Amino acid sequence: MATADPRSSKALNEEPIRARSSRVELLRRGAGAAGLALAGVTAAGLPAIGAAQSPDRDARALNLLLMVEYAQVGFYEDALRDGNLRGERKSYANAVLEHERAHLDAVRQALGGAADPKPPHDFGDAIRTFSDSAARLEDVAVGAYNGQAGNVSAEALGAAARIVSVEARHAAWIRSIAGRPPAPNPSDSPMTAAEVRKALEDLGVQL
Amino acid sequence: MNELDFIVLDRDGALAEARDGLSRAGFLAAAAAGAGALLLVARDASAAALSANDVDILNYALSLEYLQAAFYTEAERSNALSKQAAGAAKTVGAVERAHVEAFRSLLGRQAIARPQFDFQGVTEDSGEFVRTAVGFEDLAVAAYKGQAGKLDSGAVLAAALGIHTVEARHAAWMRYLNGVKPAASAFDEPSSKAEITRVVNATGFISSAPNMSSQTSPRYTG
Repeated sequence: MATADPRSSKALNEEPIRARSSRVELLRRGAGAAGLALAGVTAAGLPAIGAAQSPDRDARALNLLLMVEYAQVGFYEDALRDGNLRGERKSYANAVLEHERAHLDAVRQALGGAADPKPPHDFGDAIRTFSDSAARLEDVAVGAYNGQAGNVSAEALGAAARIVSVEARHAAWIRSIAGRPPAPNPSDSPMTAAEVRKALEDLGVQL
Repeated sequence: MNELDFIVLDRDGALAEARDGLSRAGFLAAAAAGAGALLLVARDASAAALSANDVDILNYALSLEYLQAAFYTEAERSNALSKQAAGAAKTVGAVERAHVEAFRSLLGRQAIARPQFDFQGVTEDSGEFVRTAVGFEDLAVAAYKGQAGKLDSGAVLAAALGIHTVEARHAAWMRYLNGVKPAASAFDEPSSKAEITRVVNATGFISSAPNMSSQTSPRYTG
């Protein structure tokens, strides 16, 4: 058993123990324990790109994902400051901002000196339609990560896979809050780099 | 996506009916975007044989999709759930059946048969249903993630990743219905096949191993 990941154990502890069925409890704990067993391998995030077999290719892909993470952190920071969020939307934004900051750190650390600078943004309009914009941004993140999966080394793929499902959880979360279908397709389509950049620009990132 | 593709994915029409908040035309467009990638992979794979490694991984994924499809289908048919839980069971069940169908198309004659399941009543109580769904979906996310780096075929990997994030959406949705945080931490951890198999076996939900020689019509088309 690898070192326990404090994030995972915290997450488990946060959940109310309400399951009456021991079978359900087993499933729930099993999923958590399985995660714990593998934690610690890449707990800090993505491997440094210098260690990858094709660092330039990884850097291009990771810099696109870096733009996505910058956009998400900026969007939720601005929304929490200016968006007059309340209730479920506010607690969603606070929780998700924390995750996006962790993702941004992981991607930026992996890129090291190859990281592109943070682009300027103006999310004024996007924040006025917070739920729609957040859903769009999270869907774009899912499409961006899925789209770059074939362009990165195996190590980076494994680390990115730990992030992309969390972006998908965010997407379903905000869609649930907004009363929209959380999982509207049988499969999430990958997005090209050009599609990702266009979507970020439409939301207010100046790339 | 042409009509034939759609029929392959949705023989019983449940997927089409299950869509909440979208017109049928809107649904068809969305299904085309989502399921098209899987079908393209299926066509490619029929021309070029899958590696033995990928067949093993795809059958492992298929076994988890069989489990989920049967679970949601039984829940939907139980007529015992709250409106909200029944609605989720219908929509998610249709998607899981589409995943089953996609993997079966991809694997062709190499696909494992569907085992028998006994969900022992958890599909007949809204609370039990949603809590079990959370367990299944979180498990599926960890299972797909555990295989991502092991596939030989880039096309199969792309299709599997598209399903992986849909399972994560389902996990968040079921968690939301259950009143727990949909995304509990910044990173989702993978799980090994051995670990997933151990957890699934321990539930007792699988009442018989697949009968490999059986090619008769399965109870569910998915």
